[in-house]
Amino acid sequence: MDMDMQPQLSPNIIRIMEHRLSAIEYRTAFLHNLVNQTEASPAECARANKELRKLRSSMDLITHLRSKQKEINGLRSLLAECSEDKDMVNMATEELDQAVEGERRLHNLLFKSLLPKDDSDERDCILEVRAGTGGEEASLFAMDIFKMYEKYSQKKGWKFEVVDVTESDLKGYKEASAAISGADVYGKLKFESGIHRVQRVPVTEKSGRVHTSAVSVAILPQADEVDVQLRNEDLRIDTYRSGGSGGQHANTTNSAVRITHIPSGMTVAIQDERSQHMNKAKALKVLCAKLYEMERSRIQINRSKLRSEQIGSGDRSERIRTYNFPQGRVTDHRVSITCHAINDVMLGDGLDVFIDALLLQQEMDAIADFSSSQ
Amino acid sequence: MKLSFTYAFAVPNFSKWIKPSLVRNLHQSVCCYSLKSAPSTSLKPQIPLFLRPPTHTATLSDLKKWHEWAKSLASSVGTAFVDLDNGPDSSLLCRELKWLMEDVTKDCLLPCQIPSEKLQGNVGLRVSLEDLYRLWNQRIEERRPFQYIVGCEYWRDLVLCVEEGVLIPRPETEQIVDMVADVVSDNEGLRKGLWVDLGTGSGAIAIGIGKILKSWGRVIATDLSPLALAVAAFNVQRYDLQDIIELRQGSWFEPLKDSEGKLAGIISNPPYIPSSHISGLQAEVGRHEPVIALDGGVDGTDDLLHLCKGAASMLKPGGFFAFETNGEEQCKRLVDYMETDAGDSFLSVKIMPDFAGIHRFVTGFRK
Repeated sequence: MDMDMQPQLSPNIIRIMEHRLSAIEYRTAFLHNLVNQTEASPAECARANKELRKLRSSMDLITHLRSKQKEINGLRSLLAECSEDKDMVNMATEELDQAVEGERRLHNLLFKSLLPKDDSDERDCILEVRAGTGGEEASLFAMDIFKMYEKYSQKKGWKFEVVDVTESDLKGYKEASAAISGADVYGKLKFESGIHRVQRVPVTEKSGRVHTSAVSVAILPQADEVDVQLRNEDLRIDTYRSGGSGGQHANTTNSAVRITHIPSGMTVAIQDERSQHMNKAKALKVLCAKLYEMERSRIQINRSKLRSEQIGSGDRSERIRTYNFPQGRVTDHRVSITCHAINDVMLGDGLDVFIDALLLQQEMDAIADFSSSQ
Repeated sequence: MKLSFTYAFAVPNFSKWIKPSLVRNLHQSVCCYSLKSAPSTSLKPQIPLFLRPPTHTATLSDLKKWHEWAKSLASSVGTAFVDLDNGPDSSLLCRELKWLMEDVTKDCLLPCQIPSEKLQGNVGLRVSLEDLYRLWNQRIEERRPFQYIVGCEYWRDLVLCVEEGVLIPRPETEQIVDMVADVVSDNEGLRKGLWVDLGTGSGAIAIGIGKILKSWGRVIATDLSPLALAVAAFNVQRYDLQDIIELRQGSWFEPLKDSEGKLAGIISNPPYIPSSHISGLQAEVGRHEPVIALDGGVDGTDDLLHLCKGAASMLKPGGFFAFETNGEEQCKRLVDYMETDAGDSFLSVKIMPDFAGIHRFVTGFRK
């Protein structure tokens, strides 16, 4: 057999999967029946049709799989019947090999389609970087991390827009946020949420002693006002007000805006833009992402405990990575991978090593989840 | 005066090279001398700093020296202006200084990007170093508005050119455009109609509305001041809206006699400050902005009431109006007029607050 890159699913997984496939077939037949019944209400029909559309791509694959399995059975009985005819045996064996390979391919496709997907993976994201313990040095590293993601985004062809930066005294970043947009941004970056630890000799350190400080990173999927069902009456918008009558009376270049989401008490303030309108638009974008994330984590907590222990669950207090400058290495603690080209990582080049490993880990976790969920 | 006059203050055609999208990203250099090719009778709007070519140079160390001087001047203000007349404090002035650096240096240099140890290099500037000293002195000593110093105002998602003689668009006024967007979002008749911005100044409202209506509708922007119209024409061209926005010179409805009863919307931010307040205004406003755009007569409602009176005959049935006012008292006065004096002409007359909570706008529809 050719050593194609088709992974072989374990018999156990195939057994579980066949179980699910039968359920899908049964459900599809049931829905077809319902739609064809004259007494079904239009609402019922619409619901059934919607579900049928969702099942269609899986059903197409299942239909292919069934005909492939029929072919395999036919070839097997043919082989059993005419084991004396050598030419026939050779021909049937060859065809059987091909059919089995075809079945395996369909199994793999179906398996992928059955694994749970995070429907936010395709979304754009908001990146937030915050200096943690370590004072000025943490702020300087927060800036380095922020710029690392900027460079990584450029290399991916994504758009990286700075939302707001609060500088420290030494021109590091106490806090910085950006909106990143492009293909599969959230799916790739979601594992970056957590504590990033740095070990190096700070520029402020005269004695050459290595300090350890930390920066927290949050990656939030972007959402719009519809996603979070934002209502105008739930928002309070405050602008800088000097007192006085405002309007034509006043000349000001202060365009800071603070938006408060009254039901949750969440506030976002933006002041980087030169117009009030742009500050407001940015604040709203960040607010929507935060509300959406809040809703997601609420749902996630309700899911099984197993799921919330997996990576990407958004636990911001977890220390996920260490950047050790004296040793020139970056270590990701979740996948235990160390990259020795720290400069490449900081330039946005080496990040894929970790991201690819984390994506693989995610898939393996999903498979483990699948196998244990029969 | 009748209509037309339209483009006597024509904008020189070079502005098509300086589309905002290009300029904001690249700070593409533009030859400002081509202004001289404009007809000699036309008023020439001043080119804002960020659009000028970086034809000057200074050493980094000289620029840094200027920056330190400017910063200490800004810091010396403390809260003196705030206490005096609600003017800017030091931190606001320092931020303006940062923006001035961005606008004036070739590569949008930020103050923190001037290296402290290596100061031999040169940097391209859009004005001379002497002018920088002069400009910042004007900002602090003369209280000249920052927007006049750099020649532009960031308003909504626009960068509008402004200069002395033209009112600097206010952040409060941004909301009027949102109101229009709301009204046309579910009303195709209004969306495809003819809108007017009366007393357009730099063209801010007209451009904001023009961008919302797109090629569906049309906007006529009027102003009494030829200089304001020249600046508005420059801004309209920069946003490539000359097919949607027409400029006409004249007082309020005067240049619109051909549109009586046909307007889908009337929008205006007319002068509304009571005459007696003018002398006590914040220095940036009172000393530098055109009083003709601010003084609304004894109680400030001369022009507002004139607009209200005209609205009934100028708007088509279902047409929308929105006016900016000085606050609660004027809003009430206008609503009174619209609901009683104007007979039965209007419906859904409402007072809308600005983001500071001040009753700022009066809106409504023609029956």
